[in-house]
Amino acid sequence: MGNNSTHPTAIVRIQRFNPETDAKPHMQEFEVELKPGTTVLDALHEIKTHQDGSLTFRRSCRHAICGSCAMHVNGKNELVCNAPLKERLDRHGRITIRPLPYLPILKDLVVDRSSFWEQYLRVKPWLTPPEDAPEKEFRMSPEEVAALNNAETCIMCGACYSSCQIVGLTKEYIGPHALLKAFLRVMDPRDSIPGERLADLDGTDGVYRCRTIFNCIDACPKNLNPTLAIETLRKLAQKREAFEQARIERQKHLDEPIPAR
Amino acid sequence: MRVFQMQRISAIALVVFLTIHMIVVHYPPFHIDFDQIIIRMADPLWKAIDIVFLFFVLMHALAGAWVVLTDVQRFSRLKRAFAGAAIVIGLIAFYYGTKTIIAFQPPV
Amino acid sequence: MYTSSGFISFALRRLTGVALVVYLFMHLWVIGSVNAGPEAFDARLAFVQQPLFKLLEVALLAAVVYHAIDGIRIIVVHYTGITEYRKSMFYAVLAVSTLLVIAGGVPIIRFMLEGK
Ligand code: FES
Repeated sequence: MGNNSTHPTAIVRIQRFNPETDAKPHMQEFEVELKPGTTVLDALHEIKTHQDGSLTFRRSCRHAICGSCAMHVNGKNELVCNAPLKERLDRHGRITIRPLPYLPILKDLVVDRSSFWEQYLRVKPWLTPPEDAPEKEFRMSPEEVAALNNAETCIMCGACYSSCQIVGLTKEYIGPHALLKAFLRVMDPRDSIPGERLADLDGTDGVYRCRTIFNCIDACPKNLNPTLAIETLRKLAQKREAFEQARIERQKHLDEPIPAR
Repeated sequence: MRVFQMQRISAIALVVFLTIHMIVVHYPPFHIDFDQIIIRMADPLWKAIDIVFLFFVLMHALAGAWVVLTDVQRFSRLKRAFAGAAIVIGLIAFYYGTKTIIAFQPPV
Repeated sequence: MYTSSGFISFALRRLTGVALVVYLFMHLWVIGSVNAGPEAFDARLAFVQQPLFKLLEVALLAAVVYHAIDGIRIIVVHYTGITEYRKSMFYAVLAVSTLLVIAGGVPIIRFMLEGK
């Protein structure tokens, strides 16, 4: 198509819902030009600027780091700003965009994420350093960093949370995003309350609610592994005291340099 | 013990017991009646195996049903009531099942 | 609705699980008739051994086999933490259960048709 002046078009099917006028969400089709190198988010912008200004969606950074633009595209959760439009079209040149599933829809593609944040706060997502923390930088060994499994790169987009059928069934479940964050804090050698954290997660709303469906892994745009984090937390919760003890020992050497290997 | 652990332990036990049960009871000849069952059940060891099997199967079934129900948010308030009901049903069924297993006596 | 191999396995596991719980109590009731003596037992047992029930028995076998093999898969994930082969493991579960159901079901069907 490159040197062709008229671009082919893509049919964008979007789930619309206006709480003031609609009883139920419905699908609406738009046609946009398929310019090379555009993303799904670009198509949404194109529609909002030139075709229907009432189309509502969230986005901010446009380069896959703020996590506002997670949507349900062709049955999968992903960041639309990072999804090439052309690759998402089926053989009829169509793409279907819906809001994140299992969450209350506020308008069009915008969902109410309050349960997401409530559960997030429940796991005390902040780091709790030891009281007598040295006024120096804390050091982690490469092994300790590797054990985090990149969990610190989570951007809180909600793709995993809203892909989980258990979240669909009950909002009491802490959810993969918060459990991944809890895993990050528990595994962090600088954190001084891993025992308390594990005790909090060790219930039917926490690690024991996961039914190992794996949707969270499939959905994560950052290729993180919440399922494995939950499995790890489950195992650590079994030997909580020993783990806590090991952390106390470890924190005696927080400001020491990591021995060269 | 957590329901989660109960499910895993009884699951592993059931894999063993159910394999035995399927092969011994539900395999050729396919037509069974009292006279055939009694040959095997006359042995107290088989009775013991069946009672243990019954225990695990009830545990797995009722804990599983409890999990399926309480995974639905609407029912989560009834968590305790369901657990109580499961225990009562389990005890009754275990009593009835054990009685049944023991009732397999050769007619005197 | 978020469909994936994980969801299909989960939904099937729940469905078969619920069906098996229902079956378990029916099973207890049928076998429990022995409390009323061998004759009552044989009568009720003959009732559930009519040809139609043989078809249900194949369905029962399928439910048991799938539920068991998929459960083993989940336990393997718990113990090994293997998550990268989640899809192939599920397809393997389907393949193994299909084979087992065919192996176990064909003799039952043949018995139903030929009566021996
Ligand atoms: S707009 Fe920020 S992640 Fe997509």
